[in-house]
Amino acid sequence: MTTTRQTAGPDSQVRIQAVPLRHPGRWVGAGVLGFLAIFLLQGWVANPRMEWKVVGEYLFSPAVLTGLGTTLLLTVLAMVVGVAGGIVLAVLRMSPNPLLSALSGFYIWVFRGVPLLVQLLFWYFLSAVVPTIGFGVPWGPTFVEFDTNMIITQLTAAVLGLGLHEAAYMGEIVRAGITSVDPGQTEAAHALGLTRFQTLRKIILPQAMRVIIPPTGNQVVSMLKTTSLVFAIAVPELLTSIQGIYSRNFQQVALLTVACFWYLVATTVLNAGQHYIERKFSR
Amino acid sequence: MKSLIRAEGVHKRYGAVDVLKGIDLEVAEGEVLAVIGPSGSGKSTFLRCINHLERIDAGRLYFRDRLIGYEEREGKVYELPDKAIAAQRVDIGMVFQRFNLFPHMTALENIMTAPIMVKKEPKAEVRERAYALLTRVGLADKANSRPDQLSGGQQQRVAIARALAMRPGLMLFDEPTSALDPELVGEVLDVMRDLVKEDGMTMIIVTHEMGFAREVCDTIVFMDDGVVVESGPPGAVLGEPRHERTRAFLSKVL
Ligand SMILES: Nc1ncnc2c1ncn2[C@@H]1O[C@H](COP(=O)(O)OP(=O)(O)OP(=O)(O)O)[C@@H](O)[C@H]1O
Ligand SMILES: [Mg+2]
Repeated sequence: MTTTRQTAGPDSQVRIQAVPLRHPGRWVGAGVLGFLAIFLLQGWVANPRMEWKVVGEYLFSPAVLTGLGTTLLLTVLAMVVGVAGGIVLAVLRMSPNPLLSALSGFYIWVFRGVPLLVQLLFWYFLSAVVPTIGFGVPWGPTFVEFDTNMIITQLTAAVLGLGLHEAAYMGEIVRAGITSVDPGQTEAAHALGLTRFQTLRKIILPQAMRVIIPPTGNQVVSMLKTTSLVFAIAVPELLTSIQGIYSRNFQQVALLTVACFWYLVATTVLNAGQHYIERKFSR
Repeated sequence: MKSLIRAEGVHKRYGAVDVLKGIDLEVAEGEVLAVIGPSGSGKSTFLRCINHLERIDAGRLYFRDRLIGYEEREGKVYELPDKAIAAQRVDIGMVFQRFNLFPHMTALENIMTAPIMVKKEPKAEVRERAYALLTRVGLADKANSRPDQLSGGQQQRVAIARALAMRPGLMLFDEPTSALDPELVGEVLDVMRDLVKEDGMTMIIVTHEMGFAREVCDTIVFMDDGVVVESGPPGAVLGEPRHERTRAFLSKVL
């Protein structure tokens, strides 16, 4: 690299006019890769069997837009469950009670260890094993009873599956945030007479946010993409809608292009949002 | 005089290390007590036991004749629930070496949080009192500053105001000026001096400021290795110490 540098000598005001070092190897490499990229792109874009008309036709079709809406809704709901669950898991994990702490550790171990797709199918088919859910005294009388099929609809199975899995990851993120706060803060709050819960809510969590929010932004982007997995339990989100269409017209690549377009739009918007939030919180 | 704090054989251990090995001590209402001693002698630990930031392992520690953190019924000692411990702490203010202001709040919010959340006092009233306290510590113009916009001395004065906002009957100071640049020490000591002169506040001060201790305190307690080696009026303890350990310590700090 060439740099201009001010030295203390008499000529310190004169900028160095150096001839830049040439890097021919880099240019050859870039050329080869660029050529390959154009070649591949052309094979897709200019392919006569690639029906761009179909892409345009479905890009804003009601079915696709409804699917996109469901994808966004799923993302939001699953993240709400995930964040709330994560806070609870983190607090339990850090509880002085060893049983609570172990329970939280066990949860995180299970929900991070089992593949998400398996979890989704599990929640979906749960109604077959547990036909009713009731509230009452264990092994005693039941006060209310619900048909599992009614409560665990496809959407709730999806939200549960995605959210509970997410909670395991959010738990670790929240815990990292809480431990990042100076223990002196807890002491000062306790010394003022705040209870443990008040301290957590008013003093610790607001400060932990700086550490919690950036990776949570990442999780949201990742969740948006992960929602596509719920097509396995036929929740009518973006990918399921797309798949429904191409199973009728056999324009798989064209319709998956539509899906790619919307996923990219959504992740780009979220990434921009995350970038903004990260800057705001990194003060 | 009525005793506010009474310690009887207070023990505290961390794992296998005995940090407090039987502290006996009384602090009367209105008394100002300085605790001095070498690093690691257990001064901070004892102070933290007084508002139950640490639980004691043996002995008894009373505040206004009630056990701190515990309850004694029919000869048995029961641990108090979180809420009851929090309620006990309301009457005991604490000021830390590293200030520990809440960085996400302004100076004013730092002062107002506890009276509103803990004592459920009306906001307008608390705000008025917070301004009065800021004025008293000479920081009326810093009400809306955040801790990172304040100097160490200013932060510590806000921290004192924050503790005073709860109208405590006892103030604990753990080396309140040790983290400060030398030229900022005076402004914090002035506020503390004023508390003694104007309010007759009962205070326990862990400090290395021997001049201040001599001037302001009624009693000086010298601690070493988890025990109280000697205590008495400043003139006696600082002027003519009876124990070799006290003399050795004072020869290093005076
Ligand atoms: N949380 C803890 N776990 C283990 N040991 C501790 C803990 N806190 C304090 N100690 C130990 O207890 C002893 C007394 O500590 P303490 O902070 O009370 O001393 P001090 O007199 O306040 O010293 P200093 O003047 O340095 O502040 C030290 O040996 C310290 O290492
Ligand atoms: Mg200390």
